[in-house]
Amino acid sequence: MNHSLITTEILVILLGLGVLLADLWIRPESRPALGWLAASLLGCILALSLGALTPHDGSAFGGMYVLDGLARYFKGFFLLAGILVILMTVEFRHRLPVGLSEFFALTLFALAGMLFAASANDFILMFVSLELITVTFFVLNSFQRARLPSLEAGVKYLILGGVASAFMIFGIALIFGSANTTNFSLVAAQQAQLAANPVFLTGLMLVLVGLGFKIAAFPFHLWAPDVYQGSPAPATAFLSVGSKAAGFVLLLRVLFGAVPQITSQWQVLLMVTAAITILYGSLCALPQRNFKRLLGYSSIANAGYLLLGVAAESRTGSSAVLYYLGGYFFTVLAIFTVLCSLSSTIDNDEISALNGLGRRSPFLAAALSIGLVSLAGIPPMVGFFGKFQLLAAVLEAARLAPAFYVLLGVAVVGVVLSLYYYFNVIRAMYWGDAPAGVSLIEVSAPARIALLVCLAGVLYLGIAPGGLLRLADGAVAGLKFSPAHAPSVVTAAH
Amino acid sequence: MPEFTDLLFYGLAALTLGFGFLTVANPFSRNPVTNAMFLVLTIISMAGLFVLLHAFFLAAIQVLVYAGAVMVLFLFVIMLLDLPEENRRQIKTLTLGLGTIAVAAIAGIFIKAISHAAPLAASDRWLDGETKPLGKILFETYLLPFEILSLLLLVAMVGVILLSKKDLK
Repeated sequence: MNHSLITTEILVILLGLGVLLADLWIRPESRPALGWLAASLLGCILALSLGALTPHDGSAFGGMYVLDGLARYFKGFFLLAGILVILMTVEFRHRLPVGLSEFFALTLFALAGMLFAASANDFILMFVSLELITVTFFVLNSFQRARLPSLEAGVKYLILGGVASAFMIFGIALIFGSANTTNFSLVAAQQAQLAANPVFLTGLMLVLVGLGFKIAAFPFHLWAPDVYQGSPAPATAFLSVGSKAAGFVLLLRVLFGAVPQITSQWQVLLMVTAAITILYGSLCALPQRNFKRLLGYSSIANAGYLLLGVAAESRTGSSAVLYYLGGYFFTVLAIFTVLCSLSSTIDNDEISALNGLGRRSPFLAAALSIGLVSLAGIPPMVGFFGKFQLLAAVLEAARLAPAFYVLLGVAVVGVVLSLYYYFNVIRAMYWGDAPAGVSLIEVSAPARIALLVCLAGVLYLGIAPGGLLRLADGAVAGLKFSPAHAPSVVTAAH
Repeated sequence: MPEFTDLLFYGLAALTLGFGFLTVANPFSRNPVTNAMFLVLTIISMAGLFVLLHAFFLAAIQVLVYAGAVMVLFLFVIMLLDLPEENRRQIKTLTLGLGTIAVAAIAGIFIKAISHAAPLAASDRWLDGETKPLGKILFETYLLPFEILSLLLLVAMVGVILLSKKDLK
């Protein structure tokens, strides 16, 4: 047993408890300082966890918890997301009249859940860490309880999240009943027999339903637009970055860690899901007038692009998923930081409220434009290179299974559609008429720092993608891809 | 000839399903208290299923904690809020049709999976339902998830206070 592996998680939980307790003694006006403190302590944890805290890979708790390249990649990702979300919350405090410290603490607890999810190698640990994330988001989404949309977001997430959890735990029960274990590695060892066991396959499918809810893939996406629109902006940002990435790391671990053989038989299922998710998200985003709702549909479409990499079932595909998530992270956080900065002057989320932002605050408008251009996938932003990687993986898979050419076409259609709705926002900022009698918008120091970090990430990773790409490629080295997928097509190609 | 335990299983399973249905959709009463009482009966029938699996401790906990403590709390809340009888809602034909299709599809998958599954070889080991093996599983094999649950409960408590307290400062 090697319990020291979970030091990072324990430190984050202790920090959360500390923030919760510290609120008892500090004055209300110094609560933003508590956020600064929490963010800088998280920075220390991030710096330590990269090296000194847990120098060796390994597993603990009877193989239930693993620390490997994949876990390290995502732990760094989640910690950085936590820091930026807390800075964003400090900026958003005018809209959170009560419970600012609790918002920090809950963010930290959700972060702990994500850190555990990154290392989960067991269905039970996966379920418990996902529940920790989901339950925390029930509260974070409905945090502005005086606003009806926020309560609506919370209730919708609660009901659909509860249904998804019920499906997942039922699936885990069937898996345990047929495999007599919940450990991914032990399941993988007997997957030849399990692949022929319909009860196991049903259980696995139900687990995928639960994960599909987390990543907002069609047909489990129904919550996304309403929740994105109603929740406080920092909660939405954390939901779209952290919760989605937690879903994807678990999807990769289940599909390519526990049951790679069965996954290779289910390739068509993944392809169809990816295609419908992309088309649904892109088409529904077209008529949106509310910016946050637009981002909700855009997040569905992006889940579809990420599923392309999963459906390719290759090392290139999975490392492209990791790279795309890294780029998506900076892009989305940049956009939401701008929204938080605007929250004190603009009181709604309509696209028309952004009219004339280019003159009111050139910096914010430029940052938002760079974020949107990156989401649309235009060089030299990181979004372009991420999509390029995913499509390269799809092309590689198309040599074995020609059906992937259709998927490629769908992805290109999605990208073209996305150009329209993203540029609609940019048009409003630079060519829209600003309402009369409005002033310039001041940007505070924490928002400026968070924005500069995000923009540096978007530009640097887009221009010099090599470093992150190597990191992502090393991180997926432990995943197993069944080499003989689509055997009939392979022989036809030879 | 089915054995006596088999008959008990089918009886208890049918009772659980029947009471469960009456909990969510009772054609005779729209009173929330009646629904809560049917939930108690559902939980007690499930405790019977646990007894058939020799999980005596879980069966006892199921009755004590869920049918007892949790349900008393439910009833308190229902009575405190003094909920009126719910009006019957008109269900749209489209909703009803889509719901039926979805349920039928899931049921079809289950029936197909179960009918094609080879029955498990009779386990010589009874499920470890006594207190000691259960404690060993909770605090050795599943120690980490068990501890994470305590954090989950803390989050739930903080959340309830934040969302329901009258005036927060």
